[in-house]
Amino acid sequence: MKDERSPALRAGVDFRGTENATVRVSEHVKPGRKRAPLLRYIRINLPRVTRLLLLLVVAVIGAASAAVALSDHEPFTFAGPILWSVVGVTVVFVAVGLVTSARIWAWGVGIAVASLLVYLGGIAGDAPYVWNGASVVLAATWNVTLLASIGYLVLYWALRYGMMVAAPDDQNFMD
Amino acid sequence: MDLGFPWWLRVEHFLNIVFISFLVRSGIEILGTYPKLYRSQHTVAGTAWAQFTIQRAPKHKYYTVGGEYDDYSPRLSLPGRGLLGLGRYWHFITVTGFVSSWVIYFVLLIFTGQWRRYVPTSLDTFTQAGHDMIAYLAFTVPDAVAGMPFNAVQQLSYGFVILVLTPLVIITGAFQSPAIANYFSRITRAVGGRQVIRTVHFLCLLGYVAFFVVHVLMVLIHGYAHETAKMVFGNSDLPVAGGLIFTIGLVVVVALHVVATRWTLSDGRAVERLHNVVVRPWSNLLYRLPARMHYSRSNVSGDDVALQNATHNFRGSGRPPEAKEYLALMANGYDDDYVLEIGGYVERPMSLTIRDLRELADGHSQTTLHHCVQGFSSIGRWSGITVSDLLDLAGPLPGATDVVYTSFQNMGRDDALYEGGTYYESNPMIEARMPQTLIAFELNDEGEIPAKNGAPVRLRMETSTGFRSLKWLERIEVVNRYDIIGQGRGGYFEDADFYDRNQLI
Repeated sequence: MKDERSPALRAGVDFRGTENATVRVSEHVKPGRKRAPLLRYIRINLPRVTRLLLLLVVAVIGAASAAVALSDHEPFTFAGPILWSVVGVTVVFVAVGLVTSARIWAWGVGIAVASLLVYLGGIAGDAPYVWNGASVVLAATWNVTLLASIGYLVLYWALRYGMMVAAPDDQNFMD
Repeated sequence: MDLGFPWWLRVEHFLNIVFISFLVRSGIEILGTYPKLYRSQHTVAGTAWAQFTIQRAPKHKYYTVGGEYDDYSPRLSLPGRGLLGLGRYWHFITVTGFVSSWVIYFVLLIFTGQWRRYVPTSLDTFTQAGHDMIAYLAFTVPDAVAGMPFNAVQQLSYGFVILVLTPLVIITGAFQSPAIANYFSRITRAVGGRQVIRTVHFLCLLGYVAFFVVHVLMVLIHGYAHETAKMVFGNSDLPVAGGLIFTIGLVVVVALHVVATRWTLSDGRAVERLHNVVVRPWSNLLYRLPARMHYSRSNVSGDDVALQNATHNFRGSGRPPEAKEYLALMANGYDDDYVLEIGGYVERPMSLTIRDLRELADGHSQTTLHHCVQGFSSIGRWSGITVSDLLDLAGPLPGATDVVYTSFQNMGRDDALYEGGTYYESNPMIEARMPQTLIAFELNDEGEIPAKNGAPVRLRMETSTGFRSLKWLERIEVVNRYDIIGQGRGGYFEDADFYDRNQLI
């Protein structure tokens, strides 16, 4: 049924038959509680900025991995090919992310986890820390692979939790 | 010179912990009553870049801004539970101390030469800061610069927080005041309007929180007792004693928050009295800033988002009267039946129809920004006659001090969110006489004011927050005291809630 007098219906907003049609709805509040978990209150709607941020973090993982691979300090045996594999995948990831609007964020988790595994391998092996004889710059670059990977995983979690969205998605605020 | 940690710097450091933590918590309370942030000067539905709420408004029913409060926990915000007025009181009380403290600190930095601890005197500082950042990333601790109490990256970050972030948060906070924003109207518009400034103010909050997290992390990395002893004794000779005393100080800060929150929730009027003692001496000075805001017609809310009906997009806040007399006026289109009475302490009491008002206004209008106390804003072009001109016609008698406006609205009857009572407002003569205090009868050149925005006649008080611009105006009375009307605080929300009659901030 059409109702030409309703601005909401004219705008394609049809909540007829739902509670949200005429009353305010609070989401994520568990039975017996007054409030939702704190982080549920945060919703950022900067899709393009978020998309670029996620790509940037992955690009940082790739760049730092390449710098470590190019150094003469191998974190563990055969680390070179693995690091270059991470670099290759990040290049593809960033290119796809920039050129298309595909939702590739779960693939980014694979890159971040792979980078973390390389870092853990380095801890078990001969990671380029200052106290292992590496230069300060190389040690910093090595640690950037850790921090950026953790950063991506945190951002991905925030994405899944609904705190933020990456293009082409949108929070679809209507209020 | 040996920069060290002079006693006044250490006192300032501790006071800042108190002030900033109170400002953050009360600021979250204020944010929570309109938990949305925008990139444009308008608050058009669906265009927020961030929301801090779990609520979704009804989609097929008119809802007022009064229902947009989100109920944050008292553990997070001060005082929590959506008590905006009390959150504002705490914000302004604390801001008084924070700004005073910062100004004193700034002067001391200049006159003691301690400014060198924050301001780089050589470009090498930036290069060194880059090296220090790399050192931190390499999980090593860089050394302090020779003759300095800390390293280059600390110097730049502290300098940024104290000399850039703090002035920015003070200025953007000041521009949330309708009196200041409307007096410095060109600046307000040049930087993107109230909502953009509000967003920057929020980003400053994030800046403080981010600084706090990194700062605490660095203190732990450098050694908690070693670092906090410097903030107690000025040196790290007695790290255990220093760390202990500093920890006791932090416990005191937490205790202050607990006491303030509980006290506020149990006796809001006491907080109001504290606010009046601390804040009014300077907030009353803002009566010297008459509104002089004139947006162009193209700025009217809705135009920039291609809404055909701009007036429809001017946010309504409050529910129109449901009294039979008002509904009868509405049914007859107001023009023939509505009469505005002006009486009280005047030489010539009078009754004016809308036609009379239109003739007296002689085409006068103002295009201004509505500053809702909760946070939304709308721009509208109001046609009307200034209260000052009406007062000149009526002739206030000697001794007249205030002007009281009464609405057709009865809050309990018309708006289920509030307790019953006739909606009224009052202003001192100085505010009534301001050039943009207006009795309006038309919005956006569309012939009338819509019912949701206060038809047929309403008050516009551009130096105050929005709720004082009374809608559905029935009567104006000039009085020689306002404290015997209602509960004596000067208006409905002043009586029923916790809002100061001075709403210039």
